Amino acid sequence: MLNKIWASLIILGISFAFAQDVHDEVYNTYNNGVHQQFNLIASDSSLQELTLLIDGYQLNATLLNKQKIHIHLDKHSPKYLHKIASANSQKNKLIAKIISKNNTSITLLLPEIHWQKIREVTQATFDTAEFAVKLALGLIGIMALWLGLMQIIEKSGLINYLVKFVRPLLSWLFPNIPKDHPALASISMNMTANILGLGNAATPLGIKAMQQLQTLNHNKDNASDEMCMFLALNTSSVQLLPPVTLIALMGTQVSELIVPIILATSCSTVTAIVVAKTFAAQRRKKI
Amino acid sequence: MMQQLTTLIIPLLILLIISHGLIKRVAVYEEFIEGAKEGFNIAVNIIPYLVAMLFAIAIFRASGALDLILNALSPLANIIGFPVEVVSMGVIRPLTGSGSVGVLADLIANYGEDSIIVKMAAVMFGSTETTLYVLAVYFGAIKIKRTEYALQAGLAADLAGFIAAISITYWYFS
Repeated sequence: MLNKIWASLIILGISFAFAQDVHDEVYNTYNNGVHQQFNLIASDSSLQELTLLIDGYQLNATLLNKQKIHIHLDKHSPKYLHKIASANSQKNKLIAKIISKNNTSITLLLPEIHWQKIREVTQATFDTAEFAVKLALGLIGIMALWLGLMQIIEKSGLINYLVKFVRPLLSWLFPNIPKDHPALASISMNMTANILGLGNAATPLGIKAMQQLQTLNHNKDNASDEMCMFLALNTSSVQLLPPVTLIALMGTQVSELIVPIILATSCSTVTAIVVAKTFAAQRRKKI
Repeated sequence: MMQQLTTLIIPLLILLIISHGLIKRVAVYEEFIEGAKEGFNIAVNIIPYLVAMLFAIAIFRASGALDLILNALSPLANIIGFPVEVVSMGVIRPLTGSGSVGVLADLIANYGEDSIIVKMAAVMFGSTETTLYVLAVYFGAIKIKRTEYALQAGLAADLAGFIAAISITYWYFS
């Protein structure tokens, strides 16, 4: 399933971008090679600084010589002009060729632009590949902190108290984990962090739990039933407190959302448990 | 009350862990280092999985295919009576965390915090996780290649959260 979803995101994305570009080429959306006439609204006495009217937007421009004009763009300028500029590796400026000019209007040939969507898609792939590494490296510090603390918890035996406390609930969710296994403690700590909305702490604890589940796993490449259940619980986000990002975005409004969030997240968590249990039962039947 | 609890819990937990370790005569500093060493390996192990996941989603978004799907869903959403904007949140939430923050910020700017649309989207944001990211990170860390039914269970939970967020918000605020 993951293979198919992954592949279809890529294939659909690239073919769709390609189709749009072909459409743009066929209908010449960007007016490549078309002489376009624009109204001149104002010009200074030396006739070097002009103001043009393009698609209802006033744009300042500077004459460079008889053939070339430099159009200045800002963030209010039409989007397609920015696209043309970036396609010609320029920012906020556009060098156009002057075809003819009189006192009230000017006819220009804007630079050409081809395969814009494909270009954007390519850029996005490079950007995210870099972003993924930044994201992962950003995790190192917080991961080291929590894994260090987890190590102390294990060695000092604090973990045993925790396991005892949560065993009844977790042994129903994860029937195949042995009674005193440290994975139960990691899982419960991850759940606690999730419930309190502490995403930063929850991730390293969850990874620790996954590692411990991996030691119980017979086939190291395939996810075990326990892993699937644990992952489903984490994606459904069991929480009593709203995540920090939401507080940042919504401000004090968040407090009246706490009850609906708890109700909705309970629905998603129960669904996660039921679906994971059903799949696990089916898998057992096959074997 | 709950907010204060969150502020206090981490320092208190650290205090408990360290002092309990000292009482049990654990070499706390050495053991901390021993555990912390793993942090680097895990983060590096995750990288290929994250690159694979995020780049596929980026292609899909940048190509405009995601917008196309959302536009196609809008007449359908109108028939059922779902606000279209909320549907976009439902589609984007499991895919990208930053993307869904963007959608929510956009909705707040357009409709204001008080609108039912923003409340629905916020409840949706708060009640589910970025499923594909969690999958990549957790299974990446232990090098699982076959994810079995984990994705199905996660997406089912997302769908349930999506429907629950809309109906519960609707019921709660009217």
